[in-house]
Amino acid sequence: MTGRARARSRGRARGQETPAPGAVPREPAPVEVPHAEGKVGRGRQKTTPGPFTEEALLQISAGFQQVKLGERGGHRRDFNDAGINTRQAMEHVKDSKSGTSGRAIQLSANFFRILSRPQWVLYQYHVDFKPPMESRRLRSALLFQHEEILGSARSFDGALLFLPNRLHSKETVLHSETRNGEKVQITVTLTNELPPVSPVCIQFYNIIFRRILRVLDMQQIGRNYYNPHDPLEIAKHRLTIWPGYTTTILPYESAIMLCTDVSHRVLRSETVLDFMYNLKQQCPAQRFPDICAKELVGLVVLTKYNNKTYRVDDIAWDHTPNNTFKRGDTEISFRNYFKTQYGLDITDGNQAMLVSHVKKKMGPSGGPPPGPAMLVPELCYLTGLTDKMRSDFSIMKDLSVHTRLSPEDREKRLNRFIMNIQKNSEAQSELDKWGLSFDKQLLQMTGRVLPVERLSQGQRSYEYEPWSADWAKEMRGIPIINAPPLANWLLLYTRRNGNEAQGLTQSLNKVCGPLGIRIQRAVMVEYDDHQESLLKALQHNVGPDTTMVVVILSSNRQDKYDSVKKYLCVDCPTPSQCVVGRTLSKPQGLMSVATKIALQMACKMGGELWSVEIPLKQLMIVGIDCYHDSTAGKRSIGALVASLNQSMSRWFSRCVLQHKGQEIMDGLKTCLGSAMKSYLKFNKCLPSRIIVFRDGVGDGQLHSVVNYEVAQIMEAIKSMGQDYAPKLSVVVVKKRINSRFFAHINGKVSNPPPGTIVDSAVTRPEWYDFYIVSQAVRQGSVSPTHYNVVYDTSGLKPDHMQRLTYKLCHMYYNWQGIIRVPAPCQYAHKLAFLVGQSIHREPNVKLDDLLFYL
Amino acid sequence: MEPFFNPPLHKQRHQFVIDFIEKNKPKKVVDLGCCECTLLKKLKFHREIEHLVGVDIDEAIVKRKMHSLAPVSTDYLQPGYEQLCVELYQGSVTERDARLRGFDLALSIELIEHLPVPDVERFSEVLFGYMAPVRAIISTPNSDFNPLLPGLRGFRHPDHKFEWTRQEFQSWAEKVCAEFGYEVDITGVGQVPDGRWEQFGFCSQIAVFHRLKSGCNVFDQSQEETSYTLLYSVNYPTLRDNNVLRRVLVSEVLFWAESMKRRWTEAKDTEERGEGLVTKHSAACGEGSPTEDQRRSASDSGEEFDVWCTNRIRFQSGATTRSVQSVPVPLSLLWVSCPRVSSLCGSLSNLRHYLMDEPLVRLSPDGYALLLEQEGGSYIYIQFDLDDSGYAEVGLNQTLNSAALENWEED
Repeated sequence: MTGRARARSRGRARGQETPAPGAVPREPAPVEVPHAEGKVGRGRQKTTPGPFTEEALLQISAGFQQVKLGERGGHRRDFNDAGINTRQAMEHVKDSKSGTSGRAIQLSANFFRILSRPQWVLYQYHVDFKPPMESRRLRSALLFQHEEILGSARSFDGALLFLPNRLHSKETVLHSETRNGEKVQITVTLTNELPPVSPVCIQFYNIIFRRILRVLDMQQIGRNYYNPHDPLEIAKHRLTIWPGYTTTILPYESAIMLCTDVSHRVLRSETVLDFMYNLKQQCPAQRFPDICAKELVGLVVLTKYNNKTYRVDDIAWDHTPNNTFKRGDTEISFRNYFKTQYGLDITDGNQAMLVSHVKKKMGPSGGPPPGPAMLVPELCYLTGLTDKMRSDFSIMKDLSVHTRLSPEDREKRLNRFIMNIQKNSEAQSELDKWGLSFDKQLLQMTGRVLPVERLSQGQRSYEYEPWSADWAKEMRGIPIINAPPLANWLLLYTRRNGNEAQGLTQSLNKVCGPLGIRIQRAVMVEYDDHQESLLKALQHNVGPDTTMVVVILSSNRQDKYDSVKKYLCVDCPTPSQCVVGRTLSKPQGLMSVATKIALQMACKMGGELWSVEIPLKQLMIVGIDCYHDSTAGKRSIGALVASLNQSMSRWFSRCVLQHKGQEIMDGLKTCLGSAMKSYLKFNKCLPSRIIVFRDGVGDGQLHSVVNYEVAQIMEAIKSMGQDYAPKLSVVVVKKRINSRFFAHINGKVSNPPPGTIVDSAVTRPEWYDFYIVSQAVRQGSVSPTHYNVVYDTSGLKPDHMQRLTYKLCHMYYNWQGIIRVPAPCQYAHKLAFLVGQSIHREPNVKLDDLLFYL
Repeated sequence: MEPFFNPPLHKQRHQFVIDFIEKNKPKKVVDLGCCECTLLKKLKFHREIEHLVGVDIDEAIVKRKMHSLAPVSTDYLQPGYEQLCVELYQGSVTERDARLRGFDLALSIELIEHLPVPDVERFSEVLFGYMAPVRAIISTPNSDFNPLLPGLRGFRHPDHKFEWTRQEFQSWAEKVCAEFGYEVDITGVGQVPDGRWEQFGFCSQIAVFHRLKSGCNVFDQSQEETSYTLLYSVNYPTLRDNNVLRRVLVSEVLFWAESMKRRWTEAKDTEERGEGLVTKHSAACGEGSPTEDQRRSASDSGEEFDVWCTNRIRFQSGATTRSVQSVPVPLSLLWVSCPRVSSLCGSLSNLRHYLMDEPLVRLSPDGYALLLEQEGGSYIYIQFDLDDSGYAEVGLNQTLNSAALENWEED
């Protein structure tokens, strides 16, 4: 797999979602309804104000769990996975989920405590009008005639009233009069006192905070707020970066806090149409639609007429702005619609339209959901980076200059943000009204740093330098644990890369000895620099005894790489290694490149490089990740990787392809079964302990893991035998999080060292969760990985769970150092990615117990 | 209440206003009784308007949605020459405020019927006598039409203080005209489909006033009466703002200069290697670069780059004796080949002037070329002599033709 490809997957994975379990994939409605009028601005279409639905009232009486504030006509997704209380089911972590090993370290975290008066509660009232009043506005107006009683801080949505203060009596009867003299009796009844941690209060805080961000003149894009007044321009690439913040207010372990991180939004000062014009000039006409779709699909666009973001899901080549849609009873063309509604002229009448599948919202007044939104490229601006840009070294470098913040700068910016809120009088008065304020300082807390792990290779063992978390130097000259001989192997190269091929074989010969890899002379095969001739060369030369195929590619063109991988992973299962000629062209770096290639090839053939001590017997570690291919028919690829031996050096890997709407775990269930059978074959027994690390769970999808996947995993286990009941843990791994930690070392703000564990204060009280900073970064701020143990019958102490997780971060053989996630997750990611990007089919099962996808 | 109109009547009223604005292109528009800013939200898209003001007596209602009048994110991305300032006031239309004088168009959509009858007089006096807009659009229900509205008893809305017949509306309008020097056209929206218009008229009647005295719109600002409270004010980004212009121009200039430099370097590169296609843009791909692959897996986030890249740069800059190589891009070339640059700054000397004191831009000492740093350094072997008079000539010669440009790049 390629670095570029990885970058792409990273971009794509964001914001993807697997539908809720049992969700029926719904075909888009046949009628195309564009962004209907109601969607202007952020507010969505207001349905008739009417009082709460009966269902809502039921929920209110059922403990306020589901009441959503300020939401009419739509159900917002819960991105914070609140209300999933997994910890209570796990007896052994009820009292404490903290570990003990390691030395304490003083940290600060990007959290600000919300301070409120002691005993602060939000009072919830039900408001009744007699006679009933239709209009919500009128109801508000009538109610607020009594400001002297209600006070100025209040939130009223037509039926529910929230006040920071308690009214005198439980039931207050007020009398108002409409402007034409109609007398109205208003009964305000206290229905609940909401403690600060209640979900309604939390939602309430978030709403107030968003109001404040608006007051600070920030623009909402997606979920975050950005400052448009001070843009950073990278003119060279036509990029504009808006600095901004992610913010979430939630009850964390120690207090209700605002978690806020610096965020940057990349915007582009060109429209999608400009982009299409440019692209058209650069590529052959017949390939344009494909290339264009590949570049655009998955990107998020902003429009000229509202503040909504749309994800491009498709391009309707057969549509132009002259097509019409039904608006009310009349047909109107997109061109006329935008002209009359927004005074926007469309200059190019022949542009194809963009399609965005607006998510599962109900249509106006409870009707069927509107069909996909059709967007006019000329009226849309691109945001974010295309795949091509992500792979452009110079763009990424220029970007990182602006967006990569040292821990010190990041801390400064966060403090400045809170200062700005405190200095803004309007914002402050909003907070004061409700009796709220923010701590002026970042949260100070204590973490622990786990000791350095000892790595062993056969008889020899070594430790690494704690701050670098890297042992490339240390393992030099030490033979790896197990190295299949490099016999009967092929080296394919083009005429132009003849020298590189020679250079590679020579250096491989030099480096393999010390690594303990026996190497024979390669069968050298020259091929013409065409995809067909490359494929032919493979078909002619790769036989059943071939152990390894090395292909030197003349350029980084994806198609040749894909065809090599397709052939050697599916049709003729053989480990393979591709190298771009240019990497081998510099004699200075050749030895280190050759070393890495030698190690990589050894892994692909079933070799084992190093191991760490894992003091659990009959343990099987499983890693799961998925890849969403947004281009090829929205297929998702789920990959499962399971350990086969005690030293975690051999792995079983399998993946499934499935269509949109299917639950990833459905297919992985059978993979898990095969993994256990393989384990049985390897070890002559089934594992007595299974720990699943599940990566690729997006915001708001936790419930589906908890409620659905865990059961599926247990079913797969049960299918191995009636009385087979291994201990099971399921851990959700999350890399995309907003939490950051800063260490203060010798008076300087720096990143926490690798091995830093945080399991208190900023974790969630309802979860068995912890953070690990496992990797080292030299520049910028490190981001910790969040681990959430959602199911655990292992009885493993939290300390052991944390250390095991950390140990597994050492076991990724494609990197001589510690990585961000447990190795099986990274392996699963690699596999899913290779299949999603290049192979598009399930690899041959003969490769199952090899790390062929590295 | 008016279900049998399609599109709904309130939308028809708004459309009436929008059509009117499209036709008459007023620059300063005030909406009296703007409520939740629904109409203003539509009007802000009509960029012939430069000053858009809303007034309502109810502060809470205005505040509820006022932030939706802010520029949308994309307004910042490609600002045009249009300018727009939006202001919202809390205040009563029966009181004077000097800030509302001298508008091109005043709107009062379904407002007057909410005023107690004595206030209507004061409203007329304030609007036509004091604010004195060039044009005004006043809409109000037509009570002649009420018998057609099913199930309606009394007024159409409980807060209405009165609903006028066509006759009453007309006589009020004519009185206003006589008193304050306006002429009026009375029309409306919402017709009965079967052509009984004669009998019932429009559902909403609309009077369009036009001031007769074409006097100047300048008012004596010295004796300012300010009874209104400013609730919200926002200026849209515009190229007329010098800072915005400068920012856009610099971005544009750097973009074009860089792309010229890139094309030139690529041409150079291709020539050197004797190859047809060089894809310089994409970073090494394929497993060929295991180091890179591994590097990324270690720190799998867009933000965390690591040593490997920087090492490479350091290494390269060490190897190729890089004495700060810079590529000069003549301003005249930019001027000719990028129409947007020329339209932004008007003349070549303006361009030079703008770039002169711009910290992000480095100009050659003579001010005729933009200097771009050549990163990597490995592809450029030809040093430019900055004193080469060729560039000076190019800079002076504004009638440079495109054939000459091509030569520069292929040179």
